[in-house]
Amino acid sequence: MDIVDESAMENINGSISKDKILMLRNISIGYNKPLVSKISKDIFGGEIIAILGPSGIGKTTLLRTIAGLIRPLSGEVSHKIPRRGGIGYIPQKLGLISHSSVRSNIALGAITRRSKWLSVFFPLDRKLRNDIENAMKSLHIQDLADLPVRILSGGQQRRVAIARTLIQKPQLILADEFLGELDSENVKSIVEATQKAVTELGATLLMVEHNEERALQMADRVWRIKGNELVEEGGFDE
Amino acid sequence: MNKKLLLTGLILFILAWVFLDDLVEDWDQIENAPENLKIFFTEDLWPPDWSVLEAEVWVDGSLHKPNGDVCDESIELFCSKAWTGMVVTIKMAFIATLVGAIIAIPLASIAANNLAPLPINLAARIILAGLRSLPSIIWALLFAIALGFGPLPGILAMTLYTIGYLGKLQYEAMEGISNAPLELGMAMGLTHSERLFHIVIPESSNHLLSQLMFMFEYNVRHGAVLGLVGAGGIGMYIDNYINPPFDYDRAFALLIVVFVVVVIIDLLSMIIRSFVTEEGDVRRPKWWTVLLPAGAALDYYNHKGNRQNSQVEESE
Repeated sequence: MDIVDESAMENINGSISKDKILMLRNISIGYNKPLVSKISKDIFGGEIIAILGPSGIGKTTLLRTIAGLIRPLSGEVSHKIPRRGGIGYIPQKLGLISHSSVRSNIALGAITRRSKWLSVFFPLDRKLRNDIENAMKSLHIQDLADLPVRILSGGQQRRVAIARTLIQKPQLILADEFLGELDSENVKSIVEATQKAVTELGATLLMVEHNEERALQMADRVWRIKGNELVEEGGFDE
Repeated sequence: MNKKLLLTGLILFILAWVFLDDLVEDWDQIENAPENLKIFFTEDLWPPDWSVLEAEVWVDGSLHKPNGDVCDESIELFCSKAWTGMVVTIKMAFIATLVGAIIAIPLASIAANNLAPLPINLAARIILAGLRSLPSIIWALLFAIALGFGPLPGILAMTLYTIGYLGKLQYEAMEGISNAPLELGMAMGLTHSERLFHIVIPESSNHLLSQLMFMFEYNVRHGAVLGLVGAGGIGMYIDNYINPPFDYDRAFALLIVVFVVVVIIDLLSMIIRSFVTEEGDVRRPKWWTVLLPAGAALDYYNHKGNRQNSQVEESE
C-alpha cells in the first residue's frame, strides 16, 4: 500500500525521474523504542516530499535515519546515493559554524566535491570559489560574505544553510523545518530560490514542515505521521 | 535547591578540614610563619636587585652578555641576563607549544567521545594521561640525563607535557561543541580529518586559542622552574641565584620579569581571542564616558550602535 505507483510518475514541473534513489523497507525508527513502525517507501529523483505531523512524533528521527545518523530499529534503508556529498542536510538548528564567515560556511558544502586527500589543507579550487560566489549571489547574501554568521538574522542564516547545501550538488536534500519561523516575505524568496535550485540540480527534497499550507504548496507528495504510522496523502497515492 | 547546595558545600568543607588535620602534625609551625616570611621578604627579597636588567661589566669596563660575548647592542638591556634568559625561555616555550599543539590536536580529536568510538577514545586518553602524569620537571630531568644540559631537554620536556595537558583541555573543548554541525558533516559524508579541520577547529576556536595561549604562558612560567634541572633559559639564572651565595633579590627581580611577561601574554591572548568570541560584538564602554552625565553617555552609545546595526540591516 505504501509503495509508490511508478506509472504515476508525472509531476507538475515534469522533473521527477523514474529512478528510485532511496528505498525504505519496512523500517521502524526511534531511540530504544519505535516511534514510527513499518515504513516502506520509495523516493524518486527530483521530487519534493513534505513530512507532516505534530511535534515529537518522529519527523526529525525519520530524517536522521535517512541521513544515516542513526540506524533504524528494524528494516532496511538502501539508496543509490554516493556517500560523499550525495546527501545535503539542513538540520533544525542549521548546523552553521557560528564564528566562521558566511563564505567559509558555504565552503563546507563545496569541499565534498573535492578529493578527500586534498580537501583538508586545500579545500577549494578556482571553480569552487566561483561557485560559492554565484551561490551567494543567487540567495542574495553576497554582501554578507565576510561577516561571521552569528551576527546575521534568522532569515540570513537560513539562506547561508541553503547555499551550503546547494553548493554541494546533492542528490537528496533533507531539510528539517528549514523555513522555521520566518516572515512571509523571507519564506517566499527562500522557497523560490530553493525550488529553482532543486529543479536545476534535479535533486530530491525531503522536508519536515510544521506549516501545512506551505508544505502543500511546495510538495509533490505529502507524508503524514499519525500515531506510529506514516501515511501518504495526496500526490501519487490519490 | 540552595539548601542542598549549602549542605554539599558544608560537607565538602568539613571533609577538607578533616584531611588537613590528618596531614598536618604540628599546628604550632603556623605561629612563626608570618614573622619568618617578614624577615625573608625584608632582608633577602626586598628591594629586588635590578642589575639583572644590565649587561655584565668586566674589569676592563667593557660590557658583556651573560655568555661572555661583547655587548654590541645599542640598548644595554638586550645584553642583560633578564632579557637573554627570557628570550631563550620564550623561544623554548614557543617551539614546545607549537609542536605540542600540532601533536595534541589530532590526539584530542580521537580522544573526544563525539568524534571517535569508545575504544579509540580510551587508547588516546591513556596516552594523554601518561604524558601528563609526569610533571614537566621530571621529563626535563630525564632528558637532561639523556642529552645533557641546555635548552633542548627543556624543549622536549615542555613538548611532551604540552601534548598531555593541552590534549586533555582540547578534547574537553571539542566535546562541548554543538552537535548540529558535526551531524551535518557526517550526513554529508565528510572524513574524520575534514570534520576536524573544517568543523571542530573553527567551532571550538575560542577555547582552542585560549588553551593554546594558556599553554604558552604555562610553558614560559615553567621555563623558570625547568632551569633547576639545567634546562636553560631564565630558569637557569634564577637557579644560579637561589643557590649559594643566595642572591634572592636578583632571583626576585627575574621572577618579576617573568610575571610581567605572563601578563603581556595574557593581554595578547585576550586580543587574539577577541577575533573569535562574541565579545567582539559587544560594545565596550569607553573609559572617558564615565565623565559624561548618564544621559549623554547613553546617547553616545545609542548613536554608535544604530550606525553598526544599520550596516547589517542594509544587507537584509
